Amino acid sequence: MSRLEAKKPSFCKSEPLTSERVRATLCVLKGILTSSYGPSGRLKQLHNGLGGCVCTTSQSSALLANLSVTHPILKILTTSMQNHVSCFSDCGLFTAILCCNLIENVQRIGLMPTTVIKLNKHLLSICTSYLQSEFCGCRILVDFSSTQTLLCLVRSIVTSKPACMLTRQEIDHISALILRAFLLTIPENTKDCLILGKSIIVPLKGQRVTDSTVLPGILLEISEVQLMKILPIKKSDTFKVALFCASLSGDLSDTGEGTVVVSSGVSLENAVLDQLLNLGRQLVSDHIDLVICQKVVHPSLKQFLSMHRMIAIDRVGAALMEPLSKVTGTQPIGSLGSISPSSYGSVKDLCTEKFGFKHFLHLIPNEATICSLLLCNRNDTAWDELKLTCQTALHVLQLTIKEPSVLLGGGCTETHLAAYIRHKICNEPESILQDDGCTQTELQLLTEAFCSALESVAGSLEHDGGEILTDMKYGHFWSAQPESPSAVDCPDLLSRCGCGLYTSQEELRWSFLKSTRHPFAPQTCLPHEAVGSANNLTLDCFTAKLSGLQVAVETANLILDLSYIIEDKN
Amino acid sequence: MVMACRVINKRRHVGLQQLSSFSGTGRTFLGPVKSSKFIVDEEHHESILISSVVRLLESLDLTSAVGQLLNEAVQTQNNTYKTGTSTLLFLVGAWSSAAEECLHLGVPISLIVSVMSEGLNSCIEEVVSLQVPIHNIFDHIDSTKTFSGLETCGVSLCPFLQIPSDTGLQKVHDLKDVASPSLTVYNLSGIPVRSPKLFRLQAEDEANKNTLQNPQTLKKSLLADSRCRKSILIHSRHFNRTDSNRWINKPEGFLEQHGAATPRTYRCNDLVELEMGLSHGDHNSMKLVDAAVRLQFQNASTQQGNCTIPFMFDISRIFTCCLPGVPETFSCVCPGYITVVSISNTTLIKELQNQPVQIILIEGDLTENYRHLGFNKAANINTLLESMKVQQDSSEEQWTDYVLQVLIKFNVTLVLVQGNVSEDLIEKCMHSKRLVIGSVNSSVMQAFAEASGAVQVAYITQVNENCVGSGVCVTFWRSIPSDVIDRINILTIMIKTEGINLVTVVLTSPLPAQMQAREDRFWTCAYRLYYALREQKVFLGGGAVEFLCLSHLQILAEQSLSKRNHVCSGWLHNTSSWLASSLALYRSTVLKCLANGWHKYLSALMYNTANCSSELGASTVIQQHLQSATDSGSPSSYILNEYNKLNSGIFNSGISNKLEQIPSVYDIVAPKTEAWRRALDLVLLVLQTDSEIITGLGHTQINSQETEAAKMDVFSLCLHVFPLYLCPNFLFL
Repeated sequence: MSRLEAKKPSFCKSEPLTSERVRATLCVLKGILTSSYGPSGRLKQLHNGLGGCVCTTSQSSALLANLSVTHPILKILTTSMQNHVSCFSDCGLFTAILCCNLIENVQRIGLMPTTVIKLNKHLLSICTSYLQSEFCGCRILVDFSSTQTLLCLVRSIVTSKPACMLTRQEIDHISALILRAFLLTIPENTKDCLILGKSIIVPLKGQRVTDSTVLPGILLEISEVQLMKILPIKKSDTFKVALFCASLSGDLSDTGEGTVVVSSGVSLENAVLDQLLNLGRQLVSDHIDLVICQKVVHPSLKQFLSMHRMIAIDRVGAALMEPLSKVTGTQPIGSLGSISPSSYGSVKDLCTEKFGFKHFLHLIPNEATICSLLLCNRNDTAWDELKLTCQTALHVLQLTIKEPSVLLGGGCTETHLAAYIRHKICNEPESILQDDGCTQTELQLLTEAFCSALESVAGSLEHDGGEILTDMKYGHFWSAQPESPSAVDCPDLLSRCGCGLYTSQEELRWSFLKSTRHPFAPQTCLPHEAVGSANNLTLDCFTAKLSGLQVAVETANLILDLSYIIEDKN
Repeated sequence: MVMACRVINKRRHVGLQQLSSFSGTGRTFLGPVKSSKFIVDEEHHESILISSVVRLLESLDLTSAVGQLLNEAVQTQNNTYKTGTSTLLFLVGAWSSAAEECLHLGVPISLIVSVMSEGLNSCIEEVVSLQVPIHNIFDHIDSTKTFSGLETCGVSLCPFLQIPSDTGLQKVHDLKDVASPSLTVYNLSGIPVRSPKLFRLQAEDEANKNTLQNPQTLKKSLLADSRCRKSILIHSRHFNRTDSNRWINKPEGFLEQHGAATPRTYRCNDLVELEMGLSHGDHNSMKLVDAAVRLQFQNASTQQGNCTIPFMFDISRIFTCCLPGVPETFSCVCPGYITVVSISNTTLIKELQNQPVQIILIEGDLTENYRHLGFNKAANINTLLESMKVQQDSSEEQWTDYVLQVLIKFNVTLVLVQGNVSEDLIEKCMHSKRLVIGSVNSSVMQAFAEASGAVQVAYITQVNENCVGSGVCVTFWRSIPSDVIDRINILTIMIKTEGINLVTVVLTSPLPAQMQAREDRFWTCAYRLYYALREQKVFLGGGAVEFLCLSHLQILAEQSLSKRNHVCSGWLHNTSSWLASSLALYRSTVLKCLANGWHKYLSALMYNTANCSSELGASTVIQQHLQSATDSGSPSSYILNEYNKLNSGIFNSGISNKLEQIPSVYDIVAPKTEAWRRALDLVLLVLQTDSEIITGLGHTQINSQETEAAKMDVFSLCLHVFPLYLCPNFLFL
């Protein structure tokens, strides 16, 4: 008996952005994001209210993944941010805040969406071509002959995640480890193309952060009972390895639907076990030293293997399979039938190690581009945050190898870029006016909206009520004590700019970021000696930031362009 | 479960307030004298007796986000070190109030975070000077001097807490003025507890004047010869001493006091002294730990002959067997495995006695249906009966018979099983004179595997001649008089084999309700000794390290007030922020608040140990000590001097006739400092959190912690955001 229900009519809404409700929710979302931004950003406790685990974070990936938004406009926003984060790991909050700022500023000036979109695109292309140009004043080419720039980049990322709860020494330790882990994934001799290896993060919660370490090769966790059963490892040049992705637990895998009928006296379990033992005999005759299985190995098979002086490690999990196969040069074996000898691989050395309360079997490969980053932190929520941070940093390093430049961080790139655009539009507006057929006023209004959106992203770095200044020479970001109008005239109160490149010793003029000022030409072309001498710079990933800028402007354009929302209510 | 919760001030940081109120529940657990608590479940009319923070948190409703984080921090500390949880819980409370105080004074959050974090770092560097190295403690272990011997003299001769005062303390406090003149503290079992502390009040109780000691005790008290302490001072760049009377690092690494008559070096190389210092008043438990260590040491020496490898105390090979309903005095330590079996085994044990038996070890359950972890039983298999033969036995019986056959084939008389055992099988085995014991601890299994040569297997089918161990003895364990043990109707047996590295500690308690607390206390002592031996260093205890932290922070705070130095600008991650330049402005405020946390800790400690009748009184005493420490110029040498006075006993004799032997009090190093770090981390994590976001659809329960201000139009977002920190200009308000 079926029941028919009349279809509900679709729900159509025009000019969605003008609704008060949408504005309010956008404002809340922006509030969550801006308050989390930067090294002194505030943390958010995310949990389901039903006793699930509590995640304390200020990272966009964790925040966006947990916010279940329903409004289509917010969905567009969060989806494109998540998409950016999944591709580039870094600059997620920057992208999201910039997008929110753009939408907010453009709404305020009330221009036609088509004009806005055209002009936004123009301004974006000015930004991207400037950032990629040789005379860009906020981009540094990475010098791979020293680790300094890369270390600064990693340290900036680690510092910007306060929920990791690291002290200064711990930040230095972890940053150095991340860089070492990354360097271990670079193959020593490459021909045409560089194929990077992988750093595996091994959890060791509850220990001191400074106990974290990096080891080449793979660590397989083993229980103490297992450790006892491993006989003293005999010395050998190489150890022959067989890697199984099929379960060797001895159960009947997938009997399908319906019923299997067997006659009495026949034991399927024993039949499977016999098959497993046959497999074991083949492994013995092939002189295997180490058997690794993704899933469970039957205790009887384990006993058989250990009697023949083989080490059997089971339940290594799917995540380790690819690195294991790479390190050992094995083909994961998926069946219990006969094994082709070509699927076996080898490792150079094996040893057992103990870290904290955990025992590990350490596989040392012949040619290593795989390393294990043993990561410790005091509590679970800080460990989770630290793991995310390490993954981000490792990803950023990979991106930096592809595109060997970094951008000045700490808000300096944003303010510098805003100053550059203001100056450019003020001095040579003709090119845009000709192309787009808009008026001079429209162009000025939108430029102001665009630049102040960029600047307020930089301003979001401040969470304790401080004033934000910018200097009139480089267009960099400076922070000053709240309620100190004298800061503009009194350089003593300012120490260094946001990225740390310039100090207040120079003869600089400052103005408040919020105040209106005359466009000036920020100094382009970073002098090499300035960059070389400055250590402890705050740096951002070039690729991630550039993409973030593009994603933010394009998403804002998309949202501004929406005139109807049609929802199917069925 | 009912939880007392103070009224939370709605104008302040809700998360920090929650932390303070959670922490308040555990303050009586701080220090060596712990008051027990009854937790009453009003719904089910059940109650439990607890005396440790871990058990307390198990009973509290900690479903709120902050409560969960707190529980997580305490659990991690407990899982990693098994000690330091009450310190952790107390400091969480003290420092969350300190952080709140800073917020109240208008200090920016980022500055509170960096100054507190670096302030604690600096403390941890500073207290290195109070570390006492432990060297080769097992090289000259004195088998005649055991813990129990010293303990009786320590406790019976000086059951009172009072100690003559030192000169550094003005005679301001006289306990005659205080309402409670008796200073004796009894723990639940009625045994007087004494706890040597650094800070004591001058107590001139009339009754105490009678407690004169004989010269014999004086000799014992001058154990100081064997007790040498070496301290290492790391020059802290935060703490530049300019006085003349200071400790300097001699080239050979020994610490020496300038201006003192004779230079001393310190170290601890006596096991009994170390145990005494680490017992923190719980002599009963430490006596058992001492006996267990000695048994392990003897075992190791006989095994190795001329020991080449230095002996390591292996805590995983200590097993506890709890016997509730037996008087406490029957607690003891024995080599081998002692366990309780059903009384019906009596005749079987009688037959097994006096002959070595063969053993197998089963890792999983010993039941027919047991399959190893990861084995999925297919549900859709039917067995077809081909002939009309009547099945005589069920498969269960067939299996039991098979197990028996295997046992007979390999002549196995004893089966130790980690999991459950089928009742039928136990019955049948008993008939064929075989003993099967289930639910055996994994470390016991390991010990038997090592000593008897048996290999642990998962299934009975795996058993072959290589898996069978031999030379195991099963006997009755009759150290407890039969009239006592028969009353509770159990049978205790001992299973041993030559050279087994396993020590069973039999813990007894007349009250079953106290059994768990008794076991917890034993393990606390055992782990304290374990970490002390493993780290090969201890702190001077009794509040000395905390006092040094307190005075160090006060000096730092004053320095930053007077100098406004920029040395500390490196204390901030982000040096380019305005916060770096205004750090000097707030630094001393924050450091003082952090120091207040230590002050509270010390007062609570003194109050709990009944050294003081009120926390206020304790606070005054600490204040005076603090003043003298600051005046002396070097707090660490001040503390060491105070310790000397307490330890040598010479000083005391000059003042009064009261003479007693005061053993040093020690604390473990890493677990303690990690507990501090964890506590501060949790506070700073919550401090930096501005909102709680409850995700997920379809739930209506909103946390009771939200204020009116939290009613926001965010429900279209399908998330609930609760501001934790109600800053006036916060966006959500």
